[in-house]
Amino acid sequence: MTVRSIRHGDASDGGADAVGGRLSRVDGPAKITGAAKYAVEQQLEGLAHAVLVESTIASGKVRAIASKAAEAAPGVLKVLTPDTIISLRTASDWFGTPPPDKPYCPLARDITFSGQHVAAVVAETFEQAVAAAALVKVSYDETPAIVDLSDGKAGDGIPVDAMTKEWGDAQAAFASAPVRICAAYNTPREYQAPMEPHGLIARWEGDHLTVWEPSQWLDGMARTYAEWFGVPFENVRLVSPYIGGGFGSKALALGHGAVAACAAKMLGRPVRLVMTRPQTFTGYGGRAATRQTVTIGADHDGMIQSIVHRGVNETSIDGMWVEPLGSVTSIMYATPNFSSKQNVVRVNSVVPGAMRAPGENPSAFGIESAIDELSYEVGIDPLEIRLRNYAEQDPEAKKAWSTRQLREAFAAGAERFGWARRTPEPRSMRDGNQLIGWGVAAGTYPVRRAYGEAIVRILADGSVEVESSSIDMGQGTYTILAQTAAETVGVSADDVVVKLGDSRFPRAGVTGGSRLAGVMTGAVHKAATAALDQLVGLAISDPRSPFHALQANTLVVANGRITAPRGDGPDVSISELLESVGRDRIEAVGDTMPANSSAEDRYKNYTTIAMALPHTEGDYSRHSWCAHFVEVRVDEDFGTVRVSRVVSALDSGRLYNPKLAESQWKGGIIMGIGQALLEEGIMDRRHGRIVNNNLADYLVPTNADIPDIEVISVGIPDLHSSVLGGKGVGELAIVGMAPAIANAVFHATGKRVRDLPITLEKLI
Amino acid sequence: MTSKTTIPVHLDINGQHHTLELEPRVTLLDALRDRLGLTGTKKGCDHGQCGACTVHVDGERVLACLTLAAQAEGRAITTIEGLAREGEPHPVQTAFLERDAFQCGYCTPGQIMSAVACIREGHAGSDEEIREYMAGNLCRCGAYPHIVAAVRQAALEAAS
Repeated sequence: MTVRSIRHGDASDGGADAVGGRLSRVDGPAKITGAAKYAVEQQLEGLAHAVLVESTIASGKVRAIASKAAEAAPGVLKVLTPDTIISLRTASDWFGTPPPDKPYCPLARDITFSGQHVAAVVAETFEQAVAAAALVKVSYDETPAIVDLSDGKAGDGIPVDAMTKEWGDAQAAFASAPVRICAAYNTPREYQAPMEPHGLIARWEGDHLTVWEPSQWLDGMARTYAEWFGVPFENVRLVSPYIGGGFGSKALALGHGAVAACAAKMLGRPVRLVMTRPQTFTGYGGRAATRQTVTIGADHDGMIQSIVHRGVNETSIDGMWVEPLGSVTSIMYATPNFSSKQNVVRVNSVVPGAMRAPGENPSAFGIESAIDELSYEVGIDPLEIRLRNYAEQDPEAKKAWSTRQLREAFAAGAERFGWARRTPEPRSMRDGNQLIGWGVAAGTYPVRRAYGEAIVRILADGSVEVESSSIDMGQGTYTILAQTAAETVGVSADDVVVKLGDSRFPRAGVTGGSRLAGVMTGAVHKAATAALDQLVGLAISDPRSPFHALQANTLVVANGRITAPRGDGPDVSISELLESVGRDRIEAVGDTMPANSSAEDRYKNYTTIAMALPHTEGDYSRHSWCAHFVEVRVDEDFGTVRVSRVVSALDSGRLYNPKLAESQWKGGIIMGIGQALLEEGIMDRRHGRIVNNNLADYLVPTNADIPDIEVISVGIPDLHSSVLGGKGVGELAIVGMAPAIANAVFHATGKRVRDLPITLEKLI
Repeated sequence: MTSKTTIPVHLDINGQHHTLELEPRVTLLDALRDRLGLTGTKKGCDHGQCGACTVHVDGERVLACLTLAAQAEGRAITTIEGLAREGEPHPVQTAFLERDAFQCGYCTPGQIMSAVACIREGHAGSDEEIREYMAGNLCRCGAYPHIVAAVRQAALEAAS
């Protein structure tokens, strides 16, 4: 199959305004001029400033907090400690599990990790708060910490039975396989590091709380604040107009938010608290460190007979985070025998959290490295062995794929990259002292589905307004919802105003797991269709309408004008029609929940993740897919690795806006380059402390690290996955990048690096 | 107490004069954002590591988080809010929008201020050179290839 025969599902024959068009970001003008006000940039009267004080030990108890000097410092309004902060109630988790009936204190007496919040100083100015926070002296009774997974005290951990996946007899099939490979793959602690640090402004008015906070989930965070303070959900308003990057880290209300909201309540003033960059490394969790063992039994033709997979991820002392390490292992290749099990190990760390493709990302590093190792073992091209073991259906769920354009992705990517010109032997391609390596790997991410709600208004001037409490952290929500409303109603995207990021708007669930675009385009499409139906209904039936005499069954709305289908009647603008029938607006709420849903169901749907639809619901298994082709250049003397070329072909179904989807894909690929070559939380083993907790020492890719990247869409509309045919975009492209690079490094050097990141000391 | 610890600071920002009473330790970044409401200049790290706070002082790119407000007295400060001319966006701003050179938008003002200076410095002669001279501005969304394309486009326009 050639690239040309693939239907991309975009509107290459239509205008940029339509769904599938390459409309530039509608929030772009605000962002390039500095006019876009992010959450903590609201200018409020009487704003006080809070700064956190953090634990300097990883395990033990706070003996005392000496706060007198800080209290006496200029401008200080309050020093909050576990003894002085107001008491909160424990909130439910993101599944909505009823919490234990016990108080919650966001400032710790019992220390379980270095960097835990132990106190906070509130002052008139930011500078005064910073200076006074340095005067707070905390003494501790320290106990030995479990530093990380390799700590002798860490042990084997706790089995997570829900992660066990087994079919056939994997151990026996492995034992009898003619070709056997077995290797361990490790990924370190990694950090989301969004450019906008976490922070908030909290303001109380009576028992109503307003929180301006960057948020991937307004309704979920509002629920947590409401439960902490024992006020009704409706009393909490979250405002998050723009989000300076999240990558999974801004979905939950966190301890620093509780501290700021407590301070605001105690002082009766709005309080701003923004984490310092170092605090963002411990104020919430990055990606958990992981260990995997992948064993593959195969025949001499490279056909897989068995996969046995064992995984471990770190979690905190008193929190639970499971990074599902078998998620790609179990579906990427056809195998008659399979076994995957996983443990979690408690270490003295903040509880790890979601970071771009949690689970799928490290899982793919294991299986996509292992199959590459198998390809060399049996002497088959790494691309060819992937095609030989192609899973024609979901091997785990035993269901048909809704769509799986992975074969097309391999073909399109290989052709564009020039894979056929690759010489198979490691160290066989070079340019002077640079060893050149070409590697391939696949990636996948499940289609997570949920329900959403939106309001669409057609206003007197003919413009259209869309409201939703969903958010835009750069994925393009503002833009694709404008396109959806424009196309559905029949106006130009310029005439649509999309309002997001306020929990007073119709509700939306979490913006995570690449689900928002599919959910919200569906909801806006439904609301806009209902609004259009009302508009056309009025035009046909209202006696004051110029179309009344026409006795038409329907009318056409296009470019903001209403006409009869045959063009034999009046031609009026939406605005003129509304004026003629005496209406100042038409309004419709679109809601994709099942019709008989109760108010309780709705609350649960929007404020927890308990009602998310399984990606294998019904007859199909739904996933996005991709294939990455990577060229690396390794300096033979110094072992430095540069990624010099990337071609990725991706199947995200129909793209609502290819221009923005391509940006997200490239962003995922670039974060994958960082993961492969640069990113690693480095531990001071004496103190159990992350030492590179800043942007100079925790290396994220810079412009100079990134080559040209070519992305190719091979998706086709997938109506089993979403109303308009799209699948997930945001997380997909990072999945498989690190193994593609590791595989290219092996091809360049003959050295297999199984511990990320691939730094030069591992190659020389 | 507070009044005794402050000094008057005269700032020339985007062609407008401002007089502020500031503690000498207040950075230019916090003065812009918190005292003057010019929040287009972003705080990403407060340690000169990310470039989000890049502004121009006397035409040169400067990190506002590592500059005290008092140090900028008497010098011409330009922020992202002052880049447009007569309501028309600067060609670099237009190129960023057209090339989709940003996603979340948080590093964007700093990228644009750096890009304007990068072109003016004569460091936008090739993609390689642009990558090198724009490497001080981090973008976690990973818009780098599009940033390079936008700078290249604006540099060509400036040359023609």
